Amino acid sequence: MTVGLLVLADFFVNSDAVNALGLYLIRTASIVAAFALVLGMVNVVTVHLGNVSRQEKGWAYSVVLLVAMIITLGTGFLTGGPGSTQMRQLFESVLFPLEATLYSLLAFFVVTAAYRAFRVKSLESGLFVTFAIIVLLGQVPIAVRLWDQLPVIKDWVLEVPALAGARGILLGVALGTAATGLRVLLGIDRPYVD
Amino acid sequence: MNETQLVLLLILVAFLPVLYLSGRRVQEGKVPDLRTISAFDALRGVTARAIETGRSVHTSPGLGGITGDLTADSLAGLSILEYLADQSAAAGAPPIVTIANPTLLPLAQDVIRRPYGADQEEAARAARDVRWIAPEPAAYAAGVMGVLGEEAVDANVMIGAFGDEYLLIGEAASRRRITHIGGASDPNVVPFIFASADQTLIGEEIYAAGAYLTRKPWHIGSLLAQDFLRWGIVLIVVALVIIKTLF
Repeated sequence: MTVGLLVLADFFVNSDAVNALGLYLIRTASIVAAFALVLGMVNVVTVHLGNVSRQEKGWAYSVVLLVAMIITLGTGFLTGGPGSTQMRQLFESVLFPLEATLYSLLAFFVVTAAYRAFRVKSLESGLFVTFAIIVLLGQVPIAVRLWDQLPVIKDWVLEVPALAGARGILLGVALGTAATGLRVLLGIDRPYVD
Repeated sequence: MNETQLVLLLILVAFLPVLYLSGRRVQEGKVPDLRTISAFDALRGVTARAIETGRSVHTSPGLGGITGDLTADSLAGLSILEYLADQSAAAGAPPIVTIANPTLLPLAQDVIRRPYGADQEEAARAARDVRWIAPEPAAYAAGVMGVLGEEAVDANVMIGAFGDEYLLIGEAASRRRITHIGGASDPNVVPFIFASADQTLIGEEIYAAGAYLTRKPWHIGSLLAQDFLRWGIVLIVVALVIIKTLF
C-alpha cells in the first residue's frame, strides 16, 4: 500500500527525491516481473513433461514444444542473445510466418462469427444487423449507385452513435479502473500472494 | 503540475470520499439492488454444469499483466477466477487456467490454491491446471485453441484484456459448441465478443465481478461511487455543452 501511494505521489509531485524513489520502485518491480518469465518457463516444462510421461492425448505435440524450446534457448545462449543474426532468422523464418498464417484465419472467422451474430434473436441483435448492413454497404462503391445517401448515413453511424457508444464505454472503463486501483492501493483488495 | 495531472488529482480527490462513504453504507447493511447482468447469472451455473458433465471450465484472465496499463483488466479476470475456484474446490474439479503474461502466473496459482486451505496436496494438484501458454497474442491464441480442441472443456470464460486474437479463440469455442462467456474493456474487441460469445460483459461490467458474484461490500460500494461520479461527469459535460452553445 505504501509503495503504491509513493508511486502515485511520484506521478503528481515534481520533486527530485520523490521522482527518484518512484523510478527506483518501478525499476525494482520490472526486475521482479522479469523473474516471472523464469517461473513461466518452469511451468511450461512441468506441464509438458507431465503430458509426455503420462502419454496423454497429444503428447507428441508436447515433445515438439519441448524440443523447439531447447533449440531456441540454445541458439539464444550460444549466439549472443535475441539480437543475433541466427535468432533473428529463427524468428523471421518460423515465428512470424506462423503468426501471419494464424492471423490470416481471422478473415474466415469474421465471416462465420458474422453469420452467427447476424441471426436476429433480440432487439440488440436486430440493431446490430441493421447498422452492420448500413456500414458494410456504405463502404463499397456500388452503394452510391444504389442510393447516394448510403455513404453519408454510414459516416454518420460511425461518427455519431458508434463514437458516442465507444466514448461511453471508455468513460465507464476509466471509472472502473480508478475504482479497482484505489481498492488495491487502500489495501481493500489483496490480489497478491499472501 | 500540468493540466492532466490536475484533472486526475481532482478525480482522485473526488473519488476517495465517495468510495469511503459508499463502502461504509454497504457495510452497514444498506445494500442497493444491482441491475441484472445475464453474464454473471450464467457464470453462477457454469461450474455446476461442468461438474455434472465431468468436464472442465477453461478460464483466461486475458493477455495483460500486473505491471502495466492493463492491470485493472487482469485483476477483473482474477476476480472471476477466484469465484470459479471457490465454486469448484468443493467438488475437487479446478478450472483450467491459461495465462499469457507470466506476472499473472503466481497470482492465478495462489487464487486456485486458496480455497483448499491447509490441504497442501490438493492445492498443489489444483495449481497444476494453471498453465502459462505464451506472451505473444498469436501463440497464446494457438495454445488456447489447442486446449479447447483437445481437452474435455464444458465452458470457456474469457474476461480480461484481449485483442484481435479473441476471435480466434472465441470461434474455436463456438465450433466445439462450448458455452462461452466473454468480456473486455477495449471497445475494439467488444464486437468480436458479441459475435462469438453466448454471454458478454462489456466495458466496465468486467470490473463488477466482485460485487455481483461474491457480494463483497467494498466492491458494491465502489459501484455506487462509480455511478455517482458518472452522473457528475454527465452533468459537467451537459453544462459545458450548454455554455459553449450559448456563449
